[in-house]
Amino acid sequence: MKRPGTGTQLGALGRYGLLTVAAVLGLAPLLWMMVSSLKPGADIISSPFSFDPGRLTLTNFRSMLDTIPIGTGFRNTAIVVVLKGALTMIFCPMAGFAFAKYVFPGKRLLFATVLTTLMLPTLVLLIPLLLEMSQLGWVSTFQALILPGAIDAFGVFWMRQVILAIPDELLDAARVDGANELRIFVSIVVPVIRPGLAALGVLTFINIYNDFVWPVVAVNDEQHQTLQVMLSALAQNIRSGQLGADWTSVWGQLLAASTVAAIPVLIVFVVLQRHLIKGVMAGSLKG
Amino acid sequence: MATTRRSAQRVRRRRVPVAPYLFVAPFVLVFAGFSAYPIFFALQLSFTNWHGAGALEIIGFANYRYLLTSPDFWQSMATSGVLWLLVVPAQVLVALTIAVALRKAKFRGVFSAALIAPFVTPLVAMAQVWIILFDKDFGAVNQGLSSIGLPAIGWLTTSAGAKVTVALLVLWRTTGYAVILLMAGLSTIPSDVYEAATIDGAGAWHQFWSITVPLVTRTLSFVVVIGTLTVFQLFAEPYVVTGGGPFNATRTAGLYLYKHITNSDLGLGAANSMLLVVMVLALSLASIRLLRSREDS
Repeated sequence: MKRPGTGTQLGALGRYGLLTVAAVLGLAPLLWMMVSSLKPGADIISSPFSFDPGRLTLTNFRSMLDTIPIGTGFRNTAIVVVLKGALTMIFCPMAGFAFAKYVFPGKRLLFATVLTTLMLPTLVLLIPLLLEMSQLGWVSTFQALILPGAIDAFGVFWMRQVILAIPDELLDAARVDGANELRIFVSIVVPVIRPGLAALGVLTFINIYNDFVWPVVAVNDEQHQTLQVMLSALAQNIRSGQLGADWTSVWGQLLAASTVAAIPVLIVFVVLQRHLIKGVMAGSLKG
Repeated sequence: MATTRRSAQRVRRRRVPVAPYLFVAPFVLVFAGFSAYPIFFALQLSFTNWHGAGALEIIGFANYRYLLTSPDFWQSMATSGVLWLLVVPAQVLVALTIAVALRKAKFRGVFSAALIAPFVTPLVAMAQVWIILFDKDFGAVNQGLSSIGLPAIGWLTTSAGAKVTVALLVLWRTTGYAVILLMAGLSTIPSDVYEAATIDGAGAWHQFWSITVPLVTRTLSFVVVIGTLTVFQLFAEPYVVTGGGPFNATRTAGLYLYKHITNSDLGLGAANSMLLVVMVLALSLASIRLLRSREDS
């Protein structure tokens, strides 16, 4: 039998010690970034671990605004997140509904295709997609940023799982009442799957907001640069030494820009993290 | 499964031929236009020496021959391989330990949030932080090391250091995600299995090896596959943190692929993409196989 003794107490101590260390390691770089972005540039180098509220300043943020068109970056990212996100959030449940609740010729083949897409490295598509964009005349346009990847195989797969759980009786009852299939989808399926949809929404938002590889390839003018591409260009300038020898001020700016880029997604995360964690967990449970 | 089949029959009797196609149409169109077509196009391109303009000239397997005998290609694969070794085993070990500790802990929500926060933070932003933290002369990491009497390490200036720095960033960003996946797997183990084992006198360690590990192999293999896909597609981390340097030490398979784009060697790049697909699929299948066979025994 279990007996409460030093063993279990030590176990609990070890458990919480381990979890605390892990949580601190997880958050430390983020906190360091935010705190350091508020420190005078020279302090970031001379005393990276110090925190003196009296010396906090917005200088880094002001000089960042002078060097980076960060407003444009935000606008472009917002356009892509909203439009691409909306398409994903409409198309995934639609396809999921078809796969979960209908029988039709070609269904198995199409569904197998969805599953295969899950395994395909996105890098593989880089070159042919870029060529397709140039054939369409879409290089450095919003279409190029929005349309490829406006559907997400994981989203389709997951929406199917969620919709499978809806009892058929519910849908049949609506059919008896004379509702057509679109009506059934919009007024019965969508309301029922709202929690799953919320989780898909958080995941989709984070993925699109943080997306980097495709935007870096598809866009080569400043007008359409997303925030992430803009940030990376800044770092490259630094690495190649183009910004001169004033390291301290440049590092401060870089941290300020990174903080500004991280804040929107962190706010969404803090508010909706329950949904996000549910979404991630759903990913592993179907096995 | 039974309910699906029953409902399937019911739907078949109702005969609704148009609706499912309409619902699935947007997916099919986007998929066909921006995934299927490009893949076939890439396959075709991989047999040409196309540089971005003019007619396609078929050159057979020359691109593949070139890559498979090129030290640069093998170096990029080896770099990804080394990063895989640095990231995946450590991640599985750490994530499983944390997930098991988290299973019985209070404040689970708070801990999971702290652990997964790195995963949502923009990668490019954190890559900048890494550049600053790991700077040889001014970085906080080396300052910390010297304060406890250790010598400065050339994190970004030596081949081994740069690989480790990139691996640490990947580990930091993705381990929390693996923890959440494993927690989901652990939550499916009924707690009476553990109670029975406790009554039988099995210690914590024995329970871990004979109950927890075998029952989460499915999730573990999922974590390994996701990790494999991540590492062999690594792009942004080395691109921003090291630019592939020093001396190509962190030029991953993904960065090498990107080099063909910037050089306009598109036929060669397409062939490289195809080799990468084969590599990633083979590695993923191998990890599934390996863990499945453990499950069976």
